[in-house]
Amino acid sequence: MRRERDWADRLHLPTLAALLVVLGAWALLSWRYGAYVLPSPLSVVAGLVEIVRSGEVWTHTGASLYRILVGFGAALAVALLMGLTGFLSGLARGVVHDTLAVLNSTSVFVWIVISIIWFGLSNWAPIFTTFMITLPVVASNVVEGVENVDRRLLEMGDVYRLTGGQKFVAIVVPSTVPYLVAGMKVGFGLALKVSVVAEIFGVTSGIGYIMNYSREILATQMVFVWALVMIVVMMLVDKLVFDAVSRRLARWR
Amino acid sequence: MKLVVSGVGKDYLIPVIDSVSFHAEAGDFVCLLGPNGCGKTTLLRIVGGLEPATRGAVLLDEQPVVAGDAHSRRVGVVFQEDRLLPWMTLEQNVALVLRPLGLAAPDRHAVARRYLRLAGLGGFETYHPGRVSGGMRQRAAIARALAIEPDVLLMDEPFGALDAQNRRIMQNEVRRIWEETGRTILFVTHSIEEAVAVGTVLVMLSARPARVRALIRNDVREARARLIDELNTMIMEEVERQQGGTSA
Repeated sequence: MRRERDWADRLHLPTLAALLVVLGAWALLSWRYGAYVLPSPLSVVAGLVEIVRSGEVWTHTGASLYRILVGFGAALAVALLMGLTGFLSGLARGVVHDTLAVLNSTSVFVWIVISIIWFGLSNWAPIFTTFMITLPVVASNVVEGVENVDRRLLEMGDVYRLTGGQKFVAIVVPSTVPYLVAGMKVGFGLALKVSVVAEIFGVTSGIGYIMNYSREILATQMVFVWALVMIVVMMLVDKLVFDAVSRRLARWR
Repeated sequence: MKLVVSGVGKDYLIPVIDSVSFHAEAGDFVCLLGPNGCGKTTLLRIVGGLEPATRGAVLLDEQPVVAGDAHSRRVGVVFQEDRLLPWMTLEQNVALVLRPLGLAAPDRHAVARRYLRLAGLGGFETYHPGRVSGGMRQRAAIARALAIEPDVLLMDEPFGALDAQNRRIMQNEVRRIWEETGRTILFVTHSIEEAVAVGTVLVMLSARPARVRALIRNDVREARARLIDELNTMIMEEVERQQGGTSA
């Protein structure tokens, strides 16, 4: 009895049921409005099989992931530097705070346009856009984590005369890591969403490019296929990377 | 180590400690008593060099304690809370504070294990603080303070958060550790029974701004009940004075 319930939960049975209803409605609407507006579920599956067989799926997903990793990685490095600066100087912390507030309020489109002006039609345009959009998300989290380090633990460090470096490694870093991971999780999701938008302009590879191209050649089913690829990539990274990291971090709790 | 507190006073917006003087010989167990909010914790923090005094001086073996100074004496502090790092095991927590003493890693861990055993935590070395009881966490904090072999051990109501049973166990534990190691201990408490049970010198502070109301040696275990009564009367008088003072 219990076992059955576990299986039902694991398979997300209610979600699957809802999915079936949606697929049914989708097929009906597709039949009513035609494949250009809404391709049928079957043609999307066929498209997916096709790009997996031809290897196209790896080319474009790889190109997008590469840009995300460079842009997001750079944002992560700068965010850590900002956190360190904020820990070392209260004055710098204010500047970092205000800078992040400005960046947070800047639209994705601003960075896309500016990056095209600065970097032209190259890889660097989506990388730069990804960097500028994910930086404030990750950095705000890191800075918040640094600010929320328990003062009483730092005082304990003072009592036992730990050096600044020892306090940083033993106290500041471990209490900031959960904030960092949370920021990275949100930041990575944002990076994937933003970089594909930036790929519409100027590059000739990547999920964003191929989606826009599919639209231009009126292959609407491929737009759906690539959207599906994006969703799968996001969910896989979430499950395989971030869930594993979170579990590891929670071990001592 | 000989501890001399001479004319120490502290003002925040109002005077908190007027002037407190007492001294303790090496191996004394000094208990600081007084009504709530009379400045016991502040005095302890001044002795530990965590806060500067407004007036007066604290001497450890004739050397003045200066707040924030990297002094050469080893001071162990047990705070009201355990202040263990939750992401480290009990052993790692104790070993961490041995780093500034320049011991090699295997030695640090050997010392940490020895003091955890002394505090009755043998077998729990690899547990994280979140996995053991409050009493055990506080004992680990005491083990940490003892592991650096402090010249002076400062304890700020270390058993305040414990229930009556764990409290009694810990009192006996601290008394036993003190007898075994012979450290000078300064112990803040608001429990007269606790003070009489563990202290060799009892310092009764007055209501804010604090002065020394009575200084009692408790070596001879004479008429404990009478002493507890006397101290109870004193603290009630001071509590009344403090409450009268606040409402006026």
